Amino acid sequence: MKVGQFRMWAHRYSTLIILLVPLALIALIADLSGQVVLQRIVIVLFINLILVAALQIFMGNSGVVSFGHIGFMGIGAYASALLSMTPEAKAAALRSGYQVVEQVQAPFILALLGGGAVAALVAAVVGFPLMRLSGAGAVIATFALLVIVHVVLIHWSEVTNGPRVIFGIKQFTTLWIAAVCGLLTIVGAYWFKETSLGLKLRASREDEHAAASIGINIIIVRWVAFILSAFVTGVAGGLWSHFITIFSPVAFYLSQTFLIVSMLIIGGLGSVSGAVVGTVVVTAIFEILRSVENAISMSGLLSGTLAGLTELVLATAMIVILILRPAGITGGQELRWPGKRFNSEMQGEHD
Amino acid sequence: MNMVNDILQFLINALSLGGLYALMALGLALVYSILRLINFAYGELVMVGGYSLLVFGAGPLPWIIVALLSVLMAIVASLLLERVAFRPVRDASANTMLITSFAVSTLLQNGALLLVSPRTRAVRVPSFFIENVTVGGLLISKSNVLSLVVSLVTLAILTLFLRRTVLGSALRAAADDFVMTRLLGVRANQVIAAAFAISGFLAGLVALFWVGRTASVVPQIGLNPVLIAFVASVIGGMGSLAGAVAGGYLLGFLTVGLNTVLPQGLLDFRQAFLFGIVILLLLFRPQGLVSGMQSTERI
Amino acid sequence: MLAVEDVQVRYGAITALRGVSLHVEKDEIVALIGVNGAGKSTTLMTIAGVLKPAQGTITFEGQSIVGRSPEDIVRQGIVLVPEERRIFPGLTVEENLRLGAAIRSDRAGIRQDLEEMCERFPVLGERLGQPAGTLSGGEQQQLAIARGLMSRPALLMLDEPSLGLAPQLVDEIFQLVAQLHEAGVTILLVEQNVERTLEIVDRAYLLNTGEVEYQGAADELREHVDVESSYLGDST
Ligand SMILES: Nc1ncnc2c1ncn2[C@@H]1O[C@H](COP(=O)(O)OP(=O)(O)OP(=O)(O)O)[C@@H](O)[C@H]1O
Ligand SMILES: [Mg+2]
Repeated sequence: MKVGQFRMWAHRYSTLIILLVPLALIALIADLSGQVVLQRIVIVLFINLILVAALQIFMGNSGVVSFGHIGFMGIGAYASALLSMTPEAKAAALRSGYQVVEQVQAPFILALLGGGAVAALVAAVVGFPLMRLSGAGAVIATFALLVIVHVVLIHWSEVTNGPRVIFGIKQFTTLWIAAVCGLLTIVGAYWFKETSLGLKLRASREDEHAAASIGINIIIVRWVAFILSAFVTGVAGGLWSHFITIFSPVAFYLSQTFLIVSMLIIGGLGSVSGAVVGTVVVTAIFEILRSVENAISMSGLLSGTLAGLTELVLATAMIVILILRPAGITGGQELRWPGKRFNSEMQGEHD
Repeated sequence: MNMVNDILQFLINALSLGGLYALMALGLALVYSILRLINFAYGELVMVGGYSLLVFGAGPLPWIIVALLSVLMAIVASLLLERVAFRPVRDASANTMLITSFAVSTLLQNGALLLVSPRTRAVRVPSFFIENVTVGGLLISKSNVLSLVVSLVTLAILTLFLRRTVLGSALRAAADDFVMTRLLGVRANQVIAAAFAISGFLAGLVALFWVGRTASVVPQIGLNPVLIAFVASVIGGMGSLAGAVAGGYLLGFLTVGLNTVLPQGLLDFRQAFLFGIVILLLLFRPQGLVSGMQSTERI
Repeated sequence: MLAVEDVQVRYGAITALRGVSLHVEKDEIVALIGVNGAGKSTTLMTIAGVLKPAQGTITFEGQSIVGRSPEDIVRQGIVLVPEERRIFPGLTVEENLRLGAAIRSDRAGIRQDLEEMCERFPVLGERLGQPAGTLSGGEQQQLAIARGLMSRPALLMLDEPSLGLAPQLVDEIFQLVAQLHEAGVTILLVEQNVERTLEIVDRAYLLNTGEVEYQGAADELREHVDVESSYLGDST
């Protein structure tokens, strides 16, 4: 009886254990190794993990594709940087900043949350019309959103220093801050699926009409999830800007969008496990490629640059995976402790 | 007199830009209407056309031959993509097809980056692309007139093709109900290939003018055309061919209009305004301007 | 001519056909009847190649057609006029009809058949240039059948041709089906209107929850159905 209960418990939480323990180990190893290069890679891994998980919260549960999320990352990155920078730093970095923007200064945590909040606010405003769309319309409108955010970031010099880099941000994001935030996001995304909002969202993904007919307001449900997901994405942007410390708007555009979307798709967008697996696998591929790219450039075998090789291989890998496993590596299922399934509801994850 | 001139000038600019946008949107909408595939790689077909202009233009060939070859290359590329990348995922979900096309787009763009050059390359274009004529005090660029005419002629020919030939009506029928079309014995592969071929043709044609404007080509050259095609076809009502054309012209008018209306300081934000207007439009008409009977059923 | 053996079809987790067997001989008119959801449409869609059976064989004129594409099966001579007509509303009546002849290349023959259809269905003849979406329900049904005939099928499968039509029109449709049969077309007919169907067919299969529950000549089936009339409360 006790054993049975334990097995139920283990089964229930096995996904989280399977996901969290190895990730924590990665952070620990990076920390103990003392290698700065490895630590930087792991920090970026965790930040990307948050971005992918945030995207999974919206896209995985609602089935609506968003290409606009990296825009929220950019908003979070700039907003939190402007909040945490000292007035002097801002005066130096921004040629003609606004008074208000220059005066405020907040502690890191508040700046981070503030960045998320600004992203959430933008998502709330633009999201409402977007949520009425689904399928093709949503894809294109969110893509247009990404472009709008990019155009604004590039041209709103008073706040972003335009297309030029912004600098003077203090580095606050440590390995463990990134790791803890990453692990918390995983728990949150996993928990979100089972909340009433998450369940409604997934019902609307399976069958829009059926969900509407049992009284689910699809637009509101999607909208709330979109805002939540934008908030998490904005926080990730803040973590990133306080790690990188010098950046420009181009960081929040197509390459990053492709990277994050492909992580989610390669892992399998139907599950949080997919988000984790995809992030880890793609990061591994990416780093291997990058070292190959570096080795080749350094050896001087080829003249000229190898810009684009990484993305080229990544794109090829993605196409192959989509052809062979359209639902991603995890097939949209959560990883679970092997053993018999306790009930049928655990199987309802097809996409 | 000045007023009249301004209006004429506006009309010519808007119609020529709108015509180009309409061709872009049509190429995208045609494939979408049949496969429900939003082809992100459509922009890279424009890129293929652009680089073909660069490569073939380097030789002694007359420009018109270079142009024809470039359009042909875009068609071939489009057919090739269909065969290699899109056919294997044809039966998968719409999202899978979409992401595949996104990956294909990235692949081609980075292929150009790696194989050709990440830098802007100058392309030889005939002089009439940069010449102007003055008609009754009106300064008109020759390329504008040309694109205006070419787009109208192309649209007319395509309309004839779609209305007067069996393949054309099969395409329209497939856009409406693909399975039923196959139940009549129309070959799925043939219809899809035709759609991709026309899509490639339109991308190639667009490439001529798009490259002609700046006389240069970069790997990212396809981004703006594909965005415009996206937005125009959403405004028009996804999957409606007439809607895509209408959306293209509307976008052309909006762009030229914003250019005239926006104060200098905000001109940089033009694209943001444009797409902002589009998102607003969708708030009131989520199904687009031309919501045929099919598009409401489908979504 | 057509032989379906032990065919099983699934929609994801749902099994719609659990081992259906049936056959249609040349010049026969055979009916497939059963309540809503019995699997009638699924059977026809499977024969037409739109759905792939998980198990079982389908042969036509001695050749297996399992796994063939719908467009190939049309070329073999099997045409399905599916449920709810599915005409192309944006295309004209003539374009709809011409697409029906998509597998043929004999221009003269197509021309001739087009004229014949206009004679047989005068309403269509009068509206050749009109978008098919503007036709009434009954006219659309006639168009769907005429479109199916344009390929000169060896076997014509009709899925509920009388669906949603006024009683008068139902009469006309049944007359039309009987006429087609007399004119030499082999027909597999799916219908809900059992009484009327059994008047015009040679044999019938009664399908229930994905299985053939009963089969026999029209008269035998009528008796069986009378006994079990609870199944068909709506049509008696
Ligand atoms: N696309 C589908 N996905 C899932 N289940 C389906 C699908 N189409 C049909 N079914 C199921 O398969 C079973 C058989 O359906 P089918 O359409 O063949 O019935 P039918 O006999 O034609 O009914 P009707 O008289 O209502 O037309 C039904 O239980 C139906 O719910
Ligand atoms: Mg049916």
